[in-house]
Amino acid sequence: MTTATALIAVRDVTKTYAMEGAPVHALRGVTLDIHAGEFVAVVGPSGSGKSTFMHILGCLDRPTAGRYLLDGRDVSALSDDELSAIRNRRIGFVFQGFNLLARTSALENVELPLLYAHDHRVSPAARRQRAMKALTAVGLENRAEHHPNQLSGGQQQRVAIARALLNDPAILLADEPTGNLDSRTSIEVMDIFQRLKEERGITIILITHEPQVAEYGSRIIRFKDGRVVADQPNASRRAAAEELAAVALGSAEET
Amino acid sequence: MNMFNRSTLAIAIRALRRNRLQTSLTIVGMTIGVAAVLAMIAIGTGAEAAIEDQIRAAGMNLIVVTAGNYKVKATDDFGGGAVEPSAALRSTDPPYLNRGDRDDRRERHFIFSAISAGSAVRRLTSFLSPTLHAHPEDDPMEKHDHPTARQRLGDSEAGLGSAATLTSTDAEAIRGVRGVQYVAEGLHQNVHVKAGDRRWFTRLHGTDMRLPLIRRAWTFRSGRFFSAGEQLKAEQVMVLGSVVAQRVFGDENPVGRDVAIWNQSFRVVGVVTTTSWMVAPAPGDDQFDAVYIPFSTVHRLLNLAKLNDITITAASTGEVSRIMGDVTKLLRVRHQIGDDKPDDFTVTTQARQALAKGGMRPDVARAVVGNVAGLEKVTLEQLGKTLDRATRTMTALLAGIAAVSLLVGGIGIMNIMLLSVTERTREIGIRRAVGARARDVRAQFVAEAVALSVTGGVAGVLAGLVAAEGLSRYLHWSTTISPSAVFLAVGVAAAVGIFFGWYPAKQAAGLDPIQSLRYE
Repeated sequence: MTTATALIAVRDVTKTYAMEGAPVHALRGVTLDIHAGEFVAVVGPSGSGKSTFMHILGCLDRPTAGRYLLDGRDVSALSDDELSAIRNRRIGFVFQGFNLLARTSALENVELPLLYAHDHRVSPAARRQRAMKALTAVGLENRAEHHPNQLSGGQQQRVAIARALLNDPAILLADEPTGNLDSRTSIEVMDIFQRLKEERGITIILITHEPQVAEYGSRIIRFKDGRVVADQPNASRRAAAEELAAVALGSAEET
Repeated sequence: MNMFNRSTLAIAIRALRRNRLQTSLTIVGMTIGVAAVLAMIAIGTGAEAAIEDQIRAAGMNLIVVTAGNYKVKATDDFGGGAVEPSAALRSTDPPYLNRGDRDDRRERHFIFSAISAGSAVRRLTSFLSPTLHAHPEDDPMEKHDHPTARQRLGDSEAGLGSAATLTSTDAEAIRGVRGVQYVAEGLHQNVHVKAGDRRWFTRLHGTDMRLPLIRRAWTFRSGRFFSAGEQLKAEQVMVLGSVVAQRVFGDENPVGRDVAIWNQSFRVVGVVTTTSWMVAPAPGDDQFDAVYIPFSTVHRLLNLAKLNDITITAASTGEVSRIMGDVTKLLRVRHQIGDDKPDDFTVTTQARQALAKGGMRPDVARAVVGNVAGLEKVTLEQLGKTLDRATRTMTALLAGIAAVSLLVGGIGIMNIMLLSVTERTREIGIRRAVGARARDVRAQFVAEAVALSVTGGVAGVLAGLVAAEGLSRYLHWSTTISPSAVFLAVGVAAAVGIFFGWYPAKQAAGLDPIQSLRYE
C-alpha cells in the first residue's frame, strides 16, 4: 500500500477528551490507509475508539494530534466551514438511529444535503428530481411523501442511505447501520452496501460491534483501547445478495 | 452574504411547519403585540385628527372679512354670550396694528367704547353723538378716496344695503397672502326661487367654486358644485341646498331642471346636503335652505362689482391671527386708508360663535368667552395646541403600553426558539452531518424567528386594521391608520424577530455536531 494512492491516509492520529479533569484517550495513535473502492468493516467493543475514529474520518471532529489526509489533503487543520463542505460533497453518513428529520417526508429528507451544497446551487425542481432518483435507487419511489414514522426501520435506513448518496460522495460512513434492524433487513442493507461498492466503486467504512455483520466487509479492522489491534482482508466474506436469494428460495420451498 | 437566500427561508418555513401548534401560538403572541401597537397608534392619531377636525369645524381656521365696520354700535356685549364678533376684535389691542400709528381720535373712541360698555343709555348717547360717527358709511359727507368706495353709487342701486368696500380683486389679492388655504367671495340676498308653480323664499349665496372646500361635512346628494368654467363665464347655474330642493322639487332629482330667480332661468347642477349628524338641514338655516350661484353671475346680472364678504380659511389654525393681521394690512393698503382712519371692513374669526355654540363644555366656553376679550385670538389657538400636545402625549403613552406587548411577543419568540433549539438538537446534528455550516444553522434559526415575527406582524396589521375599524364603527372612536404606522409596525416586528432570534440561533450554531447527533 502506498500513501500516494490512498483515499484515506491516517497517520499517528490521537484523540484526547478532557473529561472532568482526567483526560480520556479515545485514540492512542492510529495509522492506516484506506483505498478507493474498499469495503472496510471496523469492529471493536464499545469504548475501543471506533466511533471516535469514525467521527474523525467523517470530518465531524478533528484529531488532537497526527495527520488525516483525505485525497492527499490534510484535513486535520481545516476550518469548520471547510469541514462542512467536505461532509457535504465527499462523505455520506448512515447512522444506527437513521437520523431522519421527523415530520418531514422521505423526499425532503433525501433532499437535505443539496440544500447545503453551497458551491453548486440547484433549483428546487432539480433538487426534487435528484432526490426522487436516489429514492428510486433504494426502491422507495412510492414512499416519497411518507414521513419517517410511517416507514419501517429498513425503509428508514434506506431513506438515510439515499440521503447519504445524494451528492455522489466518495465515502460512505456507516455507524452501526444494522443496530436497530432485524436480521433480514440487515442483510438487505448489507446488500445495498456491497452493490454500491461493486457497481459504483464507493468506499464503504462500516462500524459495527457485531462480528457477523463485519463479515460482509472485504477488510476488517479491529480496535481495542484506542489502537488498531488487527487489520486484514476478510477471507470469509459474506455475500448479501446470495443470502437474500437463498432466503427467497427457502420461503418459496416452504410454500 | 447569502444568509437569507431563498433556500434558507424555505428550510426555516419547513421547520416551522413541522411544529404547527407552537408556531401558531408564537405567531398569535406577535400578532397581538403588533395589532395592539397599531390600534393604539390609530386611536391616538385619530384623537389628534378628531380634535383638529373639531377645531376646524368650529371655524377656528375660518376668517371672514365683511364689508363695512360696525364697531361703534356694538361695544358692550361681553356679558351676553351671543357676541357681535367685531366687538371683541376691536376692543383690545390687535397684534397686527402698530400702537404708535394710532392717532388720538381713534384712541379716544376706544376709551369711550370701553366706558360705554354695558350701558344702554350711554350707548344711545354714543350713537347720537356726532363726534363718534366713526364709520364712513354713517357719514354721508365723509369722503372716501379709495376705488371701491367710488363704486358705492352703482352698488346702492342694487339695494344690497351693505357697505360697498370689498371687491373680487380684494379677494384675489387675499389669495396671495401666505398661509391662506381657500378664499371664497360672498354675496348674499333673499330671493324667491321659482320652478313651475312652486315658489320658495330662501337665501341666495353668490360665491366661489371653492366654497365646498371651505364648508365642512358638505356632500352632494346629486350633481356637483358649479365649475371654474361656469364661474368664469358667469353662467346661470345653481346649486340647491337640500331643503330648497325638497321644498321645490319634492322627491324628484332637480339636477338638470331649470329654476328662476329675478325672472332669470338657472340650470340646477347639484344638490348639497350635510354628512354631519349633528346639524340636520332645516328650513331657515343658512346653508341648506339656500341656493348657490357663482358670484360672477350675480355681478353680471345685477351689474355689481362689490362683495358682501370674503371667507378665508387658514391652512393651519395656528396662523389665524397672523393671517388676520396680514389681510387687514393688505386691505388697508388696497383701500388707501390713511393711518388715522379706521378700517372700512371687518375681519373676524368664527371661533367665538363656535365656542358659544358647542363642541366645548359650557363651563369652559363660559370661562373663555366671559372673561377676557379677544381671547379667541390667542387662547383658542393655545387651547388647540395644548389639546394637540395632550393627544400626542396620549398617543405616545398608548403606543408605549402597546410596545410592552410587542416586547412580550418578542420574548415569546425567543422562548420558543430556545426551546426549539433544545428540542431540535438532533436535527441540528443531522444538518451539520450532511454539510450545513454553523452559519447555515444560525441563518436558519434567525430566519425562523423573523418568519414568525413578520407573519405575526402582518397578521397583527390586519388585526389592528380590523380593530381600528371596529372601534370607529361600533364605538364611534375616531381612528386613523397611516401607511407609515403600518410600515413601522411590520418593521418593528421584523426587528424584534432578528433581535430575539439571534441568541437562540447563536446557541444552535455553536452546538457540537457529534454531541447533537448523540442527543436523545
